[in-house]
Amino acid sequence: MRLLDALELLKRPVPEELQPLRVYLACSFTPLHLQTFLAAHLRSLLPDRRIDIKIGVYGDLAGNLGGLVPSDFDILAVVLEWPDLDLRLGIRNLGGWRAKDMPDIMETVDRRLSQLGRSSKLLSSSLPVVICLPGVPLPPLFFTRTQQGATHELQLRNALTSFALAVSREPGVRIVNPQSLDELSPAGERFDLRSEVMTGFPYTMAHASSVAELLAVLIHNSAPKKGLITDLDDTLWAGILGEVGVDGLAWSMDQHAHLHGVYQQFLASLASAGVLIGVASKNDPALVEKAFARKDLHLSREDIFPFEVHWNRKSGSVQRILETWNIGSDAVVFIDDSPMEVAEVKAVFPDMECVVFPQSDYPALWKMLRRLRDLFGRSVVTAEDELRLRSIRDAGVLRGLSADAPDSLDEFLSLAEAKIHFTFGKRPLDPRALELINKTSQFNLNGVRFSESAWMNHLKDPAAFLVLVNYEDKFGPLGKIAVITGKADIQRLFVDAWVMSCRAFSRRIEHQCLKYLFKKFAAEEIVFDFRETPRNGPLQEFFRKWSNGPLSGNIHISGAAFRANAPSLYHRVEEEVLD
Amino acid sequence: MTETDARLIRCFSAVFPSLSGEEIEAASLETVSGWDSLATVRLVAVLEEEFGLQIDLGEWQELSSFASIRHYLQKRSVAQ
Repeated sequence: MRLLDALELLKRPVPEELQPLRVYLACSFTPLHLQTFLAAHLRSLLPDRRIDIKIGVYGDLAGNLGGLVPSDFDILAVVLEWPDLDLRLGIRNLGGWRAKDMPDIMETVDRRLSQLGRSSKLLSSSLPVVICLPGVPLPPLFFTRTQQGATHELQLRNALTSFALAVSREPGVRIVNPQSLDELSPAGERFDLRSEVMTGFPYTMAHASSVAELLAVLIHNSAPKKGLITDLDDTLWAGILGEVGVDGLAWSMDQHAHLHGVYQQFLASLASAGVLIGVASKNDPALVEKAFARKDLHLSREDIFPFEVHWNRKSGSVQRILETWNIGSDAVVFIDDSPMEVAEVKAVFPDMECVVFPQSDYPALWKMLRRLRDLFGRSVVTAEDELRLRSIRDAGVLRGLSADAPDSLDEFLSLAEAKIHFTFGKRPLDPRALELINKTSQFNLNGVRFSESAWMNHLKDPAAFLVLVNYEDKFGPLGKIAVITGKADIQRLFVDAWVMSCRAFSRRIEHQCLKYLFKKFAAEEIVFDFRETPRNGPLQEFFRKWSNGPLSGNIHISGAAFRANAPSLYHRVEEEVLD
Repeated sequence: MTETDARLIRCFSAVFPSLSGEEIEAASLETVSGWDSLATVRLVAVLEEEFGLQIDLGEWQELSSFASIRHYLQKRSVAQ
């Protein structure tokens, strides 16, 4: 992006009613065009937000971070440069580059990094923190040739890497990937000495735009896609199964089909991180069954659910897979080697990301894998991610039992050895709670989503409570599947947000949640801040059991009504109280 | 209007979005309230980028109005 384009983009009027995104840009140099580019990139990514960027005082990064009031902002973006670690690592100060100065520089760097680590950790408990590590080349202060890695320079980089490693472990911290910055902005084209001397802004325009672009992506932190549907022939493997047979399928280097092996390995990696993988293939089911019995496949049958293998339309297969997964088409990627099949699916699901598999185009495959990693990228892989596929398989069985014969559901639940574990309390804050609230649509009280900072502010209210619900039965754990938050007064309990993963339906967990709340708070009534959304039908169905009138606004459920109408509950209940 | 004038107006419009076309052509340090040192830095950066120039710090004081910048660009033989 050019500066002129950025300024013109920012000229466009912004409706006052848009929710602001309040960003604190912390750096010790004059942010000038970096601030402009950041605002422009954020505006491109978040057209429904009003971007408001504040900056600190020149030359005092530590002071700016120390004086920051976290509740005034939604996110903190820190852009580090070498002079932040020691002024002698820049060119605006003439403190000495003698060989004897090096140990003292190293000492200062260690001290500053340790201070920055403490500030980052502290601030990240109140608002998300995005950090960009120093990107301009170090000045020629070492006594070695520039081509040779000087010991002190390597020591500096090592200290910086250790700092980045330590802060990246904090749940609220996201570090700009130096490799991505290298790709966007060549190292030799980043530093503008003239600008640094004349205005105190060290970046070339191109580098400022690149830094801003990556910061904006991490600030936006878009929700990852949830599922990938793949074709088989000439996609997961090379060859047409019906023509070459099971033994003729290839994915190895000696068969000139290595890209398919890489693709299999990539899908297995996604599956291990909780991404749902489904197959939509026009094929003979018996042959596919045999193909997946091959031991040298890099993706196992257990990584995939469901298989849609027949000769009917691909869009029909995709529709059934979406129903099984219980997720929207905008959360899924479809991959097939046939442009015609891709077009057919895209026509039915316009908001689905549909990709033609690049069979022998090496650069295109590399680009596709990187794009997929970006679409499915997440900061952490939780225990729930690893359990997702198995619980979706089980949910299908339970839905069938529930619909066909209510008695059989009772029998099933009574023998399931189910255990519900309630975790009551706010500290330490489990990131899973916010993740569930922001991605659950069907059993969701009102569809309200929280930004990371709004969530932290909500929980800071001393009257606010938080309950995280963990479920397991003899078939295995589902993990943390429900969240309830709200406020309590003497007789009534107000629930602001209540979500439960669709994987946990048909187990009466929602009934056990109400029972727990009535008992925990000795409440006579619970008031739910209900709002109908296009997708919260399952929650509406649940509330209709307790309310005869139309569902709108606050819904009141009394303890007496609950006890009179609650079905039999078979769970063993445990509670853990935090704080 | 020459192509250079049109590009110059675009630069001014990006840096001073509240100015109309007429106000831009009459713009100067004295008449535009938002024309402070930060705006000058931004305007110089946009001009350098748009016209492929490098403007020395000593020349910045020449760039105090739309007319003087147009004259400066003519002097630097920016292609019409």
